[in-house]
Amino acid sequence: MMAGATRTRLVSRETSRANAVAGVAVVLAAILFAMSLAALFEVIPISDPIAGIPVVAILGGVLMLLGGAVIAFGLGSYLGAVETQPSPSAGVVAAAAFGIVWLVLVGIAVGRFLSLGSAGWIVALFVGGAAFAVTAVPREDIGSTLPAGAACLLVGATFLTGAIGPEWVWELDFEQTASLTAEFVIPVATLGAALLAGWAAAKAYGGFGARGRRMGAYLLIYLNAGSIVGVLFLLLAFTTFRGLPGLFTGVEVGPGVGPSVFGIALPVSLPFVMNGVALLNDFQGVLPAIVGTIWLVIGAVLFAVPLGVGAAIFLTEYAEYGRITQIVEVATNGLWSTPSIVFGLFGFAFLIPRFGGGKSLISGMLTLGFMLLPLVLITSREAMLAVPDEYRDASAALGVSKWQTIRSVVVPSALPGVVTGVILGVGRIAGETAPILLTMTGGTFVPGGQTVDVIGGFEFTAAPPFVANPELLQATTALPFQLYALITAGVGLGDNVASPEQFQWATAFVLLLVVLSFYAIGIGARYYFRRKLNHE
Amino acid sequence: MTNTQVNATRDDVMRRLRGVRDFLTDAEPAALVTVGAMSIALISAFIAFLLASPLAIVPFALFVVTAGYGWLRHQGLTARTLTFATTVSTVLILLLITTFIVVESIPILQYESATVLGVSVPGLRMFTQARWDAVSPPIRYSMVPMIHGTVMVTAIATAVAAPLGVSAALFLSEIAPATVREVVKPGVEILAGIPSIVYGFIGFTILSPWAADQFRTTGQGSYLFVGIVVGLMALPTVVSVAEDALSSVPESMKSGSLAMGTTDWQTMISITIPAAFSGVSAAVLLGVGRAIGETMAATVMLRGVPKLTEPLYNAFYGQETLTSLVANNYGEADGLQMDALFAAGVILFVTVLFISIGSQYIEWRMRRKLGGEG
Repeated sequence: MMAGATRTRLVSRETSRANAVAGVAVVLAAILFAMSLAALFEVIPISDPIAGIPVVAILGGVLMLLGGAVIAFGLGSYLGAVETQPSPSAGVVAAAAFGIVWLVLVGIAVGRFLSLGSAGWIVALFVGGAAFAVTAVPREDIGSTLPAGAACLLVGATFLTGAIGPEWVWELDFEQTASLTAEFVIPVATLGAALLAGWAAAKAYGGFGARGRRMGAYLLIYLNAGSIVGVLFLLLAFTTFRGLPGLFTGVEVGPGVGPSVFGIALPVSLPFVMNGVALLNDFQGVLPAIVGTIWLVIGAVLFAVPLGVGAAIFLTEYAEYGRITQIVEVATNGLWSTPSIVFGLFGFAFLIPRFGGGKSLISGMLTLGFMLLPLVLITSREAMLAVPDEYRDASAALGVSKWQTIRSVVVPSALPGVVTGVILGVGRIAGETAPILLTMTGGTFVPGGQTVDVIGGFEFTAAPPFVANPELLQATTALPFQLYALITAGVGLGDNVASPEQFQWATAFVLLLVVLSFYAIGIGARYYFRRKLNHE
Repeated sequence: MTNTQVNATRDDVMRRLRGVRDFLTDAEPAALVTVGAMSIALISAFIAFLLASPLAIVPFALFVVTAGYGWLRHQGLTARTLTFATTVSTVLILLLITTFIVVESIPILQYESATVLGVSVPGLRMFTQARWDAVSPPIRYSMVPMIHGTVMVTAIATAVAAPLGVSAALFLSEIAPATVREVVKPGVEILAGIPSIVYGFIGFTILSPWAADQFRTTGQGSYLFVGIVVGLMALPTVVSVAEDALSSVPESMKSGSLAMGTTDWQTMISITIPAAFSGVSAAVLLGVGRAIGETMAATVMLRGVPKLTEPLYNAFYGQETLTSLVANNYGEADGLQMDALFAAGVILFVTVLFISIGSQYIEWRMRRKLGGEG
């Protein structure tokens, strides 16, 4: 950004033509990158020809072209045909990276095709060292283009000569057999070569030197950020796409077709989320799991939010910063990073014997509450620390007590942060399977009649503990567990639901929907509060 | 301890005692009585609950009543006591977790003891041989195969999450224009929000069959792909912590470098990253901690056979991790086998706790070095 602002337009025509070469090389690398991804996930099968030319040959040809362009630009710059500002050396980091790439490339090639044994690794080490030297010793324009371009040429030549064809297989000499097949090696090798050459080409496009390095690094960093968003989008889109048919199985819209809620029949019937599993159902559903998840979240919030917010108030307002706050901080962060399955084990050992000896809803609630507690504490504490001290001083100057200041100044100002933190924390625990696996969950298919009804379940007894709620003390199910059970149920699934795969994907989709709506609300709330703060 | 240190500690203790005395004389006696009754009721409720007594409800009800009364009559002091109680209970939960899982794993430590130089070391045999068999004698509960699995998965996951995560953090904190950041940042958060069982499900139905086909393995489940999926799940942790570290580098340091005429990339490489290095490594450490503790994806995608892979570096086969061992076996386990699962839990818990404390120490040192408040 800073350097871009100072860039001038005084670029000679030759340089712009040479820049076009580098630009084309970047584009070629991008195309190769996309093609190799498509080949890896079998969108483009490598054994099929495109327009009469085998895909492997196309990849090999483009790789050769790309390698040639990169080397040509490097040599052109070195011989002074192109005006660039190269540094004296490409640097140790690049040299080490190229050294390792070449070591692996040659090591594999020699080991696979020449079978020289340990002598092969000596050759590989020698070539790797040479690549290191070629990168580090000459001027940057040679050092950063030559090894990358040559790698492209080598990989391209292997594909073009048919040394690695679509039928190529390398059986690894493992006791548990595994092989590297062409379907994997060709796309991955192309991907790696395209990345190397793309980086070198971007550097060349920037004219090497400080600007060139910036260009090369930014290409990789933008690519990485784009891939992360891409993977996220792909995951969400894929789950939605596969889950929607199952979700809308047997959907009906019309007056009075749905189940009645508070005496009013709903105008929509969506069996998947409104039914349990029963023999006579036309369509099976996951209602008990949804209700179970809702109660779990309510229970965990009721347990963790008062504790977490209370502790945050004590730590920020009452306690002096010192040994005690440090211990609590370490403990909180320790709790935050404790693996979820350990919470499950703890719930199993601690809560189950104390709540009737079997798996129960309340054990699940408390276990998830333990997990939610550090999240609530950390975010609430951050929100309270962010409240300016002037607020507290102004309130204290009015002569009110400390607690009144906390109640009427600190907590209200910190509330947006606390609420956002709680919502995001809830999103996290709502999708947890491991802790409730050991403490709460029972069968794979739960009939609609067993949907938990906590409010209606309370009853008073004559013996201690005087209040009982069988609903809280029963094993039940929740969405994440339901999905786990569906995965492990395997073959038996077909007896219960018409289309097991649709049912699984629909469950995954509903779970994702529930969890991500918490996230959407949390992130939305944060934006809302921040904008409100900025406008005031 | 030197003499001055002793004196300083004594002064500190005296000062605190004086503070407590002042506090006690300042407060109203009635309020003190209420708060005292409340505290006693709460402590006895906790003890009764620990003893698994159904009578725990009685002191708890008493606590609720006294707390309610205190709230109406002496709100300030009651609030202070209640918030203190919540703080104590946070630490208490961590202590309870430690105690309970360690206590549950004691029998297996005794069963699996081995003799070294004539001294019997409890639990040692779990690490010196690799046999896990709960059915046919000799019955052995070795942790070696699971530790191997966890190490494999964590190593691969770190190789994925560390470079990608740090690069994404750099992008978010230094490079991205505001509008792009507003899209990518919630995206990373949502990536953290996708439940692990959904990752596991997609891995199980899509990735595992694909990998088995690509690498022509017998059956499905490989450490390689579990590691990649777990790496994707640990990524958000690395990104958000590393981003905090990078943006805590004072703006004046960056501006000073830019004023020398460097590009922003040079500034990042030579100023921002070195200054934030310890924070970034803490981020990677926390990511490692997440990867070690990840359960469901590993449980669903691995084979669930507690054995070493052959050869050890064969990542195309995936047997069992410490986490998946617990999730796979809790159902039919009882007696010693259940205790062995707790031993796996102890290993996980202790490792991750050390990682957490280590990364906090690194972060604390970095904050002190930068002199800011982070």
